Amino acid sequence: MSGTTIPPLALSVEHLGVTLAGRDGPLPVLEDVSFGVPAGRTLALIGESGCGKSMAALALMGLLPEGLRCDTGAIRLLGEDLAVAPPARLRALRGSTLSMIFQEPMTALNPVFTVGEQIAETLRLHQGLDAAAARAGALEMLRKVEIPAAAQRLDAYPHQLSGGMRQRVMIAIALACRPRLLIADEPTTALDVTVQAQIFDLLKTLQRETGTAILLISHDLHAVADIADEVAVLYAGTCVETGPASRVLAAPEHPYTRALLACSPRLRLGAAAAGPAPDLLEVPGMVPPLGQRGPGCRFAPRCELAGADCNHPPPLRPAGAGRAAACWRVGDTTLEAVA
Amino acid sequence: MGGNRSTLPAAPAKPASPAREMLRHFLRHPAGMAGFLILLAVALASLAGPGLYGVDPADMAAAPFEPPGPEVPLGADYLGRDVLAGLLIGGRASLSVGLAAALISVLIGVAVGALAGWFGGWVDRVLMKVTEFFQVLPSLLFAMVLVTLFGASLGIITFAIGVVSWPGVARLTRAEYLRVRGLDYVRAAVAGGGRPHYLILRVVLPNALPPIIVAAALAIGVAILFEGGLSFLGLGDPNVISWGMMLGQNRTYLLDAWWAVTFPGAAIFFTVLAVSLLGEGLNDAINPRLRKRG
Amino acid sequence: MSGALLGMGGRVVNAVLLLLAVVIMNFCLIHLAPGDPAQVIAGEMGGASPEVLATIRAQYGLDQPFGTQLAHYVSRAATGDLGYSFYFNQPVSSLILERLPATVLLMAAALTFAAIVGTLLGVLAAYRPRGLGSLLVTIVSLAGHAAPVFWSGLLLLLLFASVLPLFPIAGMTDVTRPLSGIDYVLDVAHHLVLPAFTLGLVYLAQYSRQSRTSMIDVLGADYIRTARAKGLPERRVVLKHALRNALIPVVTLIGLQFAQLLAGAVLVETVFGWPGMGRLVLESILRRDHPTLLGVLVVSALLVMVANLLTDLAYRLVDPRIRGH
Repeated sequence: MSGTTIPPLALSVEHLGVTLAGRDGPLPVLEDVSFGVPAGRTLALIGESGCGKSMAALALMGLLPEGLRCDTGAIRLLGEDLAVAPPARLRALRGSTLSMIFQEPMTALNPVFTVGEQIAETLRLHQGLDAAAARAGALEMLRKVEIPAAAQRLDAYPHQLSGGMRQRVMIAIALACRPRLLIADEPTTALDVTVQAQIFDLLKTLQRETGTAILLISHDLHAVADIADEVAVLYAGTCVETGPASRVLAAPEHPYTRALLACSPRLRLGAAAAGPAPDLLEVPGMVPPLGQRGPGCRFAPRCELAGADCNHPPPLRPAGAGRAAACWRVGDTTLEAVA
Repeated sequence: MGGNRSTLPAAPAKPASPAREMLRHFLRHPAGMAGFLILLAVALASLAGPGLYGVDPADMAAAPFEPPGPEVPLGADYLGRDVLAGLLIGGRASLSVGLAAALISVLIGVAVGALAGWFGGWVDRVLMKVTEFFQVLPSLLFAMVLVTLFGASLGIITFAIGVVSWPGVARLTRAEYLRVRGLDYVRAAVAGGGRPHYLILRVVLPNALPPIIVAAALAIGVAILFEGGLSFLGLGDPNVISWGMMLGQNRTYLLDAWWAVTFPGAAIFFTVLAVSLLGEGLNDAINPRLRKRG
Repeated sequence: MSGALLGMGGRVVNAVLLLLAVVIMNFCLIHLAPGDPAQVIAGEMGGASPEVLATIRAQYGLDQPFGTQLAHYVSRAATGDLGYSFYFNQPVSSLILERLPATVLLMAAALTFAAIVGTLLGVLAAYRPRGLGSLLVTIVSLAGHAAPVFWSGLLLLLLFASVLPLFPIAGMTDVTRPLSGIDYVLDVAHHLVLPAFTLGLVYLAQYSRQSRTSMIDVLGADYIRTARAKGLPERRVVLKHALRNALIPVVTLIGLQFAQLLAGAVLVETVFGWPGMGRLVLESILRRDHPTLLGVLVVSALLVMVANLLTDLAYRLVDPRIRGH
């Protein structure tokens, strides 16, 4: 099913489905989402806003907002299915084996506690350290995330730090217990361009050091090209393409991935990290809103290759070399001709 | 508003006018409507009630401390006066003082807040200092002092309550003016060279009005409570029966005639409750954001 | 802590200026009130006699120019001289000082009760928006706002006097049995229950409402998601991470409403015969004892400002963002 063959997987998401309780029955938010993150590697989840990337991340954490529930599929973290794990087990895993950093570092830290307290809290909770040991551990983490004058910053409150520094603190909290999987939901979107690069560098360095697998959600295709090993493309709540990052970005199979990349021309030419990251231009048309998705291929209304067969939803099918795509046109020669 | 939306694929249906929209939401708000209906009932009872009931509230209609019964439905007080007759006529004072005092406090509050918020700078600093001054004084106590010094007539009581209770409205209005002042259409009007009074009253006020209306509704409730408190302490107009006065006069005989204390207080309670519910309904109707939050 | 004290100096100066303004306003009120200022000061009951009026004129320098009178009045107030009560035959300041502790005790008890119970109710209601707690908060906050304290006080008095004689219904101590030591304290506490409960109910309503609102806001904040992502147990998320933030607006509200609490105490004291400033107000109103009434106004303003300074300090302790600047 999932085309990736690189074992072992730290995380394997299989046919995940999430629904929103609606007045007229449950509305599908995520449908049949499958991808895998190899241990120690980075998988990037890409797609336009509203495609369900963040929902997928929250589903993995067991932190779906009220009204949303994960009712089909499996989320295997090191073999254990989180989708059926009891809440207490999930809580024990969160922050230790599985952790997450968020898009908005300005608001993700509690304003009334010092950053030292907030890092130490995780250590005390999951590793049972006493106050002094947890404080020492927090200091070590601040050093690891390369915060200057870490000893002084330990007693700083979040409002005394810049956005980039706060995101470093978030990373310190997330990595304090050496998780096996780190979910990074647009970790740099709210930051300055120069700081963005620093944060990605830091994530790479720490990944090498700790062997943590990273699930990166990002708009920034340059960063994705730079640090992701694998890519999964989401469209309208479903996974349309997966595969090794270099190949998917160089030669996308799915028309949606092509359209997405076309909005980032320099990347297409292979000139990856150079210059400021361009904003992701809109793919023409709009992502269908919840409850208004058609029965067939979700992308068909915006797809220039759509035909009559697109009225049936295409499954995610192997497309060679560890890749998979959900499109009836994949392997079809007309695709190359049009492109 | 609808004209520059051509970039969107489909133009949304033409929205109803804001005022009509608010009215629709208000009419569907059960608490707000309940408040409105209670208030309407109280108003009708105090306007038409005394004539229909036909008992003079000052007369000795029954024996002192006569409990509620066929003769006096809500009992008689320590002087044998009919409690129901007092309630019906007492509503007039409570409601009229409440309405007039709230009007005064809203007028002062809006004027101070609008000037402070619009002009900023030293005008703002001076006016906010004055507001702070009034907030430092316990308003009911301040009203007591004014009524004691200047005499307990209905007019002075109304004025005193209005004069001590405007700071909240002033702060609210100021905040609204600060907010609205930064909006594009106001900047355009300023750039167009409108006169200050035109800008303050015709351009900004309509947009700042919704929260002020809610505050005004709530101010009526507070004014009714204040009037009750003053009359309870014997600072009401001695020539006008009010609910607070009935309470104050009968409190000594609480253990002999609970009805003479309980019913006038309940009248204040339900009237103020109705005003609060009305305010809640208005607030939810005006502020769609809160509506969703529940 | 020292950081919290920084920047309080300006607030103290501001408070002194406001207090000065209250004194000046009192002076103006005496002159604006109908009748001869000497007569106003003497009041109806105390100073009909020409000798008293002459004494007052000399004391207040009422034959001197307006400016001089004002300066005189203000400088006397600055030394703590708030005038003389001709009804009580006592300086106003000592009269008020005598009554002040009882009022402060009543207010402190009511405030503590309202803040603690109100916050707990609010937290409960915010956490289960459709639960019983939420309904209770809605009812209590509506009823607490609408019920006049003098009425709810009288109803409680009725209940406890006739149906359920658990608590004494008047006064601050049992006058029939002079007590001392711990017995005295317990006796006062026993007498305190009903008035403090009555006064507290009004504010309980507002605090529960405020804490529910701010708790709902806070529970939706990003940092709560962070706390959950850390794997913290839910109780810790709510009671540590959320509550500390939700308390900030509640503290603000306590400060803002202190003046109203004081006014409420006046009414409650008259209902329960609590021998504090409120009773003094009632007596001075009944006796037209204007110097005492005006003195109470000054002392009230002073109390409110002290309370505001304390709130400010508490605010700085709770919210590190304020402390830094």
